[in-house]
Amino acid sequence: MSIILEFVNVNAGYGRIQILNDLSFAVDEGQVYGVIGPNGSGKTTMFNALLGLIKPSSGKILFDGIDITRTSANVRCKMGLGRTFQVPKPFENMSLYENVLVAAVHGGTHRERFAREIALSSLRLTGLYDKREIKAGELALLDRKRLEIARALGTEPKLLLLDEVAAGLTDAEVKDIMRLVADLKAAGHSIVWIEHIIETMVGSTDKLMCMAEGRCVISGNPREVMESAEVQRLYLGVDENE
Amino acid sequence: MSDKRLQRPVRVLDSLPMLIVCIAVVSVLYAVCLLRIASNNAMRYMIQIFLYITMGQMWNLLSGFAGMTSLGQQLYIGLAGYSVAIATAKLHLTLGVGLVMSVAVSVVVALVLSLLLFRMEGMYFSIATWVVAEAFEKLFLSWKYVEQGSGLTIRVVPYPKIEEICAVSLTVCVMSIAVVYLLLRTRTGLGLTAMRDNLTAASAVGVNVFNHKLLVYVIAAAFTAVSAGIFFVNKGIVYPESGFGISWTVSMIFIVTIGGSGTVSGPITGAVIYVFLQELLAHYPGWSNIILGAITILVIFFLPKGIMGTLQEKLRFEIFSAKRFSFAKHK
Repeated sequence: MSIILEFVNVNAGYGRIQILNDLSFAVDEGQVYGVIGPNGSGKTTMFNALLGLIKPSSGKILFDGIDITRTSANVRCKMGLGRTFQVPKPFENMSLYENVLVAAVHGGTHRERFAREIALSSLRLTGLYDKREIKAGELALLDRKRLEIARALGTEPKLLLLDEVAAGLTDAEVKDIMRLVADLKAAGHSIVWIEHIIETMVGSTDKLMCMAEGRCVISGNPREVMESAEVQRLYLGVDENE
Repeated sequence: MSDKRLQRPVRVLDSLPMLIVCIAVVSVLYAVCLLRIASNNAMRYMIQIFLYITMGQMWNLLSGFAGMTSLGQQLYIGLAGYSVAIATAKLHLTLGVGLVMSVAVSVVVALVLSLLLFRMEGMYFSIATWVVAEAFEKLFLSWKYVEQGSGLTIRVVPYPKIEEICAVSLTVCVMSIAVVYLLLRTRTGLGLTAMRDNLTAASAVGVNVFNHKLLVYVIAAAFTAVSAGIFFVNKGIVYPESGFGISWTVSMIFIVTIGGSGTVSGPITGAVIYVFLQELLAHYPGWSNIILGAITILVIFFLPKGIMGTLQEKLRFEIFSAKRFSFAKHK
């Protein structure tokens, strides 16, 4: 299995505040890679660095073997990095179909005629096909989250970045999202998924990384990571042996 | 999901009959100008409406679509006025060359300024555009070659007749609507429509926001310039204050807000209303701006999408639409 994404000693932050400290990790192709960590541990900053919204002060980000550390955001999207927003940002006055069409035309760099099919299949995969002519602004939260995924899929990503897509959903809806992620994996997508809901992380990921203070504390088999002393201490604030 | 939702929720009226209606309307307007059916006074209104529609379309493209709320479009109006005046009075060139010059100067200035202005967003961009326009006003106020504050007269022999100015204004106006409409139907237009709704998300799905902004900014500069050039030909003289005054942009904001931001039909409606309101309010000089302001506030409160925006939403139709359907064309 080849590596689709690799962080090599990445340091990054906002202004003088350093958030990521020598962060290193690697994601295999075809994997669902979960990321957990307490608030302020640098998960979102890692995403921002990966997406090109902030520039690392040192270190390297390799995507599919290419150094993308200095590449601009829209070019990364065209290279195959698809993302969702934690707080959904749909194009509210456009229909769902148009939302995904924009992604397929610009991110996927297709002509509109070909983009059509991609947009429709992304909508089918995310279960939004029947609602495709509704304005995105009229959607409820679960469907907005699905639209985030559909739109990211429209850009035909090699790697899909999910930023808390299950947050704020009911238990039943969380199950829906987990099913969707399983479908996406089965369709051959590599996924990096940040989430606070432990159930999703243990149930849906192939590998799990826990971050703290801008570093990778531990990574490996999801269940083992969850049960490790480091994660217990970070989340519960106590050491069981004491 | 109910099948009702699957039916076309919005009727787009852009079809062959609509095109024929548009051609008919434009032909009638040309006839009214060129055959001198309208009085000189009526033609003056028509010129104003045509030029304000053009400027409104451009400001709408900037603010309504590309998220660039420029408060400095008067920069290109002033530059255009002076270009025409310098070309005719100083360089003794024809009016046509003057208008071409005004577009060329504006495009070059827009390209140079974009390097500075596009580093800023939102409020900072707005203020910066305004400051630059003010700086140009001061420059022209103290520039001896253009007679400083006493203004520059446009000199051509023979001076164009009002019906000619009217026909040219109409041509520019139709071109501006066509350019905006056709632009919105391209992939760039799809990107612009996405940018209208959310800039961050647009860039996340691969829209090259910088290129889109630059294109829109340059198109806006060009069309604003040519319409302003014609405006000053009609006036006969340009002053620093009349060229570079913020009131130009205030008019554009009024037109776009009243008509409906982010629609092509909005600025058309807005411009017609604006010209008539302005005429009506001319009898109450002290009050006119207060009343225009009050109307704007009322519209923002009760019709936040403007007259055409609200009408299209309520009645579920769109004209000059950028909408894409997932349905096959013949179904």
